[in-house]
Amino acid sequence: MVDILSTPFLWVVVTIGLYGVAYWGYGKWIDRNVWRSSAKKATPAHMYMDGVEYFPVSRYVLWGYQFKSIAALGPILGPFIGITFGWLPALLWIIGGNFFIGWLQDYGAMMLSVRKEGRSFGPITYEFTGARGRTNLLAFVLFYLIIISATFIALIASFWNAFPGTFVATVGILLAGLLCGQLLYRVKMNVFAVTGIGLAVVVLSIYLGVAFPITLGFGVWNIPIWAFVAAVILYAAAVLPTPMFVQPTNYLAFYPAYAAILLILFGALMTPFWGASFLGLTLPRAPTPISIQMPAGPFWFDPQGILGPIWPILFVAIACGAISGWHSLVSSSSSAKQLDIETDALPVGGGAMLSEGLLALASLIAYMVLAPSFFVGRTNVAAWVAGAVTLTTPFLGGLTAPILTTFFGLVLIIYALTVQALVTRFFRLVAAESWSEGRFHVFGNKHVSTVVGLGIPWAFAVSGSWWALWLYFGGANQLLAGLAIMLITIHLARTRAPTRFSLIPGVFMIVTTLAALVWQTGTFLYSVWAYLNNDNSWVLRNVRPPINTKDYILVAVAINAVFVAVGTVLFAVGLSMAVRLFRSYRSSMAERRARAPAAADGGERER
Amino acid sequence: MTESNDAPKPKGRGGKIKEAAKGVFYGMAAHGHVTAALRTRMYLEHLFMFITLGDMLGVPVIPPYYSLKILPYAVPNIKSWKQRVFRERDFTDQVF
Repeated sequence: MVDILSTPFLWVVVTIGLYGVAYWGYGKWIDRNVWRSSAKKATPAHMYMDGVEYFPVSRYVLWGYQFKSIAALGPILGPFIGITFGWLPALLWIIGGNFFIGWLQDYGAMMLSVRKEGRSFGPITYEFTGARGRTNLLAFVLFYLIIISATFIALIASFWNAFPGTFVATVGILLAGLLCGQLLYRVKMNVFAVTGIGLAVVVLSIYLGVAFPITLGFGVWNIPIWAFVAAVILYAAAVLPTPMFVQPTNYLAFYPAYAAILLILFGALMTPFWGASFLGLTLPRAPTPISIQMPAGPFWFDPQGILGPIWPILFVAIACGAISGWHSLVSSSSSAKQLDIETDALPVGGGAMLSEGLLALASLIAYMVLAPSFFVGRTNVAAWVAGAVTLTTPFLGGLTAPILTTFFGLVLIIYALTVQALVTRFFRLVAAESWSEGRFHVFGNKHVSTVVGLGIPWAFAVSGSWWALWLYFGGANQLLAGLAIMLITIHLARTRAPTRFSLIPGVFMIVTTLAALVWQTGTFLYSVWAYLNNDNSWVLRNVRPPINTKDYILVAVAINAVFVAVGTVLFAVGLSMAVRLFRSYRSSMAERRARAPAAADGGERER
Repeated sequence: MTESNDAPKPKGRGGKIKEAAKGVFYGMAAHGHVTAALRTRMYLEHLFMFITLGDMLGVPVIPPYYSLKILPYAVPNIKSWKQRVFRERDFTDQVF
């Protein structure tokens, strides 16, 4: 019998339906009434066409590019922490966050950049908040990049450690990328032939990974060693020319990464139907019945007593998939320069973000069908893989569990590694921009900046528990989103367009993320305070092995203190930025009241 | 060639879906790499233009004799070069 209610099927359908309303209902309404986009208005892609940065691109191509640029590990691992409070609040945040805030930010950032001649967020921040505002943004982004890097390096190391077959498979993909780079750019081979060869090497490397699993035998030191290996690979990715390494590797990684998501969504939609008969055709039966096993919640506090209250923690734990500040940088950095017509901003910016929500949904479902025991202590990073294998086994049963586990484990690593390669490269370029002259010019050197950009995150990665880093990452990321929404709101205020649809989400995100940073920093501070009062348990809980023993207690205390400092700096810089933006918004509103009417489209409709 | 041969044929629903699928696939798999390659070439072209026209900007890089020899190749690029070099840039332009 088909059982709809106890399987994830219903929630997939409901979420897709509500995202449809967000796009065709709320989205179209905002596009028409707030931004007043017009297909007749010239976009920067046409005004400044140079065939390099500015050129019009079809909305389909740009949607694919935007989606690929924003989809990474965030929507996959965020729900792992978010489900702590029950799957229902996590699902509601994935739906509601994206419905009212997520797509609005991506789309708004794109429209803002289009209306500002294709300029990215740095120059726009300078225009709205002055030189200090831009310096603030730069400082914030630098910290943000370090925290992202620490989180992703810690996760890559954990994945290699958890899935012994994935290291050989990862090396196989990297070698396939190098080979494809040479074949494409030196041998000038046809791209289809190169793709075929590359994918054959990827498949072979998965089989080799299963055949030759690698397990380090250094006990608690495994993670630091794997993290070092990850840092070495990322160093190569950051300093080598992109066509040689990063580009072809990312290109090849695209195929297994997206195949995995489609397989999971298909598996989730089919859950009630396995073993059922339709028109005389009987579908295969799942080896074990697939149903929702995690509690729905809501739990107002983390039942394990680690994370804290549902607000603000849930809202920073699930970042990408609901809303993410990184997307605003992507939207304004390149996509806006290639938008053919203004009305494409909704399908490209908003549509890609709503699609990313489906990625978060697929991951949440992969966790929902697992037993609660998977989530005890939040150290089992293999949970997503176990859920993915559970959902896909009924129709991929021909493949053995080790192959599926290696495949899905590799997908996790690919998502982390490909984005982290770009983040490390970005950090190097930001460092070169910031320190190429002056007393600290040595940090502008590409090797020094890359070593710094990987060394500090490596130290964080091997010392802090990944969930603690994840909450800092989420806090910084969501705060960036709040700041981006405020920039959008200021522009709308200056052009006499309605502001409340972005002001309310912007204020909510800023307040929530600052509160999350305070909570998280307070947790580390309390840990140090508890240690001074002869209670070691808090200090040791916040760090990972081998430091979480009494032998390394002083190191653990020092790490907690460093995390207090990092949290304080993130909070201070974020607050300072938020104050500047609110001041700018207030003065824009005052000016708006004093001036003659205009509109978000520059007053075209009035004229 | 007649006009009807030049004009693109209107696409049916199937053709549009195929075009959309091709576009999405290309966008996901390759568009970022193509633009990155174009950007790399842009920076090389900036260097070329700077070397070629350096002495005209007051920064003599190579002797004017060679600059003049290369000038015909550089002239068509001057407009877009100026546009790109004068454009306001900062670290947020480097994301992708």
